[in-house]
Amino acid sequence: MTRPTTRLEQPEPVLTPIEWSFPAPPVERELLEVLPEQPTGKPPILFVHGLSHGAWCWREHWMPAAAADGWRTYAVSLRGHGASAGREHLDRTLLRHYVHDVLQAITELPEPPVLVGHSMGGLVVQHVLERYAARAGVLVAPASAFHGLGSLGLLLRHRPRQVLRALAGRTLELDRELLFSDDLDEATAQRYVDRLGPEGALVQHQLVLPRRPRPSKAPVLVIGAGDDRMVPVIDVVRTARHYGTRAHVFRGMAHDMMLEPDWKAPLELVLRWLEDTVGRDR
Amino acid sequence: MSEPIDRGTAIAVIGAGSSGLPAAKNLREYGFEVDVLEREDDLGGNWNFGKPNSRVYRSTHMISSKPFTQYPDFPMPDGFPDYPHHAQVLEYFRRYARHFGLHEVIEFGTSVERVEPVPLAGGSGADESPRWDVTVTKDGRTETRRYAGVVVANGHNWFPKTPSYPGQEDFAGEIIHSADYKDPGVLRGRRVLVVGAGNTGCDIAVEGAQHAEHTYHSTRRGYWYNQKYVFGKPADQVSDVFFGLNLPTRFIQWAFEKTVRMTVGDFARHGLKEPDHRMLETHPIVNQTLLYYVGHGEITPVDDIEHFERDRVVLTDGRAVEVDLVVFCTGYLIRFPFLDEDVIGMQDGRPELYRHVFHPVHDNLFVIGLIQPDSGQFKLVHWQTVAVARYLALKDRDPVRAREFREQVRRHVHERSLGGIEMVDSTRHLVEVEHVDYLRALARLINEDLSPRDVLTTAGAAR
Ligand SMILES: Cc1cc2nc3c(=O)[nH]c(=O)nc-3n(C[C@H](O)[C@H](O)[C@H](O)COP(=O)(O)OP(=O)(O)OC[C@H]3O[C@@H](n4cnc5c(N)ncnc54)[C@H](O)[C@@H]3O)c2cc1C
Repeated sequence: MTRPTTRLEQPEPVLTPIEWSFPAPPVERELLEVLPEQPTGKPPILFVHGLSHGAWCWREHWMPAAAADGWRTYAVSLRGHGASAGREHLDRTLLRHYVHDVLQAITELPEPPVLVGHSMGGLVVQHVLERYAARAGVLVAPASAFHGLGSLGLLLRHRPRQVLRALAGRTLELDRELLFSDDLDEATAQRYVDRLGPEGALVQHQLVLPRRPRPSKAPVLVIGAGDDRMVPVIDVVRTARHYGTRAHVFRGMAHDMMLEPDWKAPLELVLRWLEDTVGRDR
Repeated sequence: MSEPIDRGTAIAVIGAGSSGLPAAKNLREYGFEVDVLEREDDLGGNWNFGKPNSRVYRSTHMISSKPFTQYPDFPMPDGFPDYPHHAQVLEYFRRYARHFGLHEVIEFGTSVERVEPVPLAGGSGADESPRWDVTVTKDGRTETRRYAGVVVANGHNWFPKTPSYPGQEDFAGEIIHSADYKDPGVLRGRRVLVVGAGNTGCDIAVEGAQHAEHTYHSTRRGYWYNQKYVFGKPADQVSDVFFGLNLPTRFIQWAFEKTVRMTVGDFARHGLKEPDHRMLETHPIVNQTLLYYVGHGEITPVDDIEHFERDRVVLTDGRAVEVDLVVFCTGYLIRFPFLDEDVIGMQDGRPELYRHVFHPVHDNLFVIGLIQPDSGQFKLVHWQTVAVARYLALKDRDPVRAREFREQVRRHVHERSLGGIEMVDSTRHLVEVEHVDYLRALARLINEDLSPRDVLTTAGAAR
């Protein structure tokens, strides 16, 4: 027997008529890569960013560090984000178009990857894992598997005006306090905030709506940030429970865990888990 | 003969075309070891232009658009057009095979000569399934291997079905089957009679219009010619909205007929036969240019053939056409040269299988890809192979439920998935399926009938 990745518990998404009749419009996508100096037998890692971010946020620390550890790393910019095309259509973009973007990026890789998704990208990855047998999935401060009311509540408390504007169809304005802890120096934080782009209005609404991804076709690791002002820790814990696992929460960290001064700690945990789960396999 | 090589619990997949590839991938995904046995030195089967069993011609493009055709977990690249060319389709299979590491398990140049069940030892339970001896030739040597199951994916569009008419032997011109039609070179400067209004027949008639001196197109009946684009979108993406809404079949037929009428208008005005059946009652023909060339006088629609004479063909309406090339686009027969007819259970030209996949007697012999959908094939075959993998996994996990499923296979082997439509001319539609109906049936198999009981009850409790 070879190693099964899909089990009989897994319901299969056979009927998806909306996708057949209204397929995601084709688009040119940015796919960054950072490869190790020596090829190793480890599977590739594909990183998926969150709200208003782009592939660049992984290029900063996590990709080079993982590559130095022997992993082939890739990061996709969802449509309308980073250097991918489609910005002019963001107002018509839906979450399932992002799912399509990730599947398209996957088909460009030489073998099934590990998927790492942050925030909204974490929800996109959950939907990809329903139908595609990735090697593993890692959800980093992911949008909840159930609904976005927790995030909405947090934001309403801290940024009521921004939330109202976002609900009216504008891009949710993200600032340094929402994303980073005080430990990150002002200049760097500003540099990151300046790189944030627009987000789709429909997607922002969809993020609040109820959902319940089917079980994953791959093992899942869930990590969260103790001082997250975007995704409440309790939601991260519940998402982990949905996948039958326990969340690892990093105290003192804020939402953008891969850009925080302490970015090494969560990455080390992720790579150690991946090493155990998929690293030695071939 | 020497002892067979014991392949233990491994499953043999025969063929590395668009059906064999997802079979290998999905069986492996569910934990099974597979050997893919492929006669050629390359994958792609029908879509590998120029290979002995390939039946695509230089200009072949898909007739169903990408979202209806592709494997659901491996979409065709965004860079492909709505209706990819056969070279792109082959490229797609190469990417799929590489991505899922299928080259590890495909044995090229391995021709399956014989597949037979190993007789069960006396006294074994009625439930026991036989193992299978698969005899292959490889590098000029013959060997037999023993497998725990066989998935047959040898294709059903390769063995030409050629009609014969009185006087055909005395015909001075050339007669070919579309199986041997590769590009319009053979048409150039000739007077051509294209026989048959399947998708291939219509394509070749159009190529005749572009390259031959003149083209006659002989059809047995009138057909509904569907467009590739409706309202600026691939037609299948529009029509599926109707299927998805679960509207009454009669209404859908009416709406589709109206759409065709809007462009074609009066069939007789073009010299075309009036369809003698409702829309959807024959395998859909998708051709946007046939009518255009009829209207330009490059194609003359004619009646059925009555008989051949030395340099002309006489039609059933008494007219005769002088031609020097006849292309029979009369389809293909279903053949399993390596299986005895009574083992596979041939009946009226096709094996009798539940949902076109499951064998009523041998629960570890499967046929996949043996469908002619009104839509893309690869997606449907993907789900066929998932159902196969789940059945085999269920046998290990919940044998009682697996036995119930075998009972279901035996009892319902005759059920078809035609969306409540009666097909006319049944020999041409032996394995026809209506894709939404068929997918609903497969979804039921996969997510209910082939789920262990404990999973179903917990899922029910959670609901
Ligand atoms: C002109 C044409 C156009 C078509 N257009 C479409 C379309 O637009 N959309 C669509 O969905 N379908 C289309 N089809 C249907 C087509 O048959 C399927 O798309 C598909 O190619 C079938 O795949 P398969 O793997 O079942 O069979 P094949 O592609 O025929 O593959 C069978 C494989 O098995 C191998 N094999 C056979 N016998 C043996 C043996 N004894 N030992 C070892 N190996 C063996 C062969 O070498 C081959 O590689 C078209 C068919 C034709 C002829």
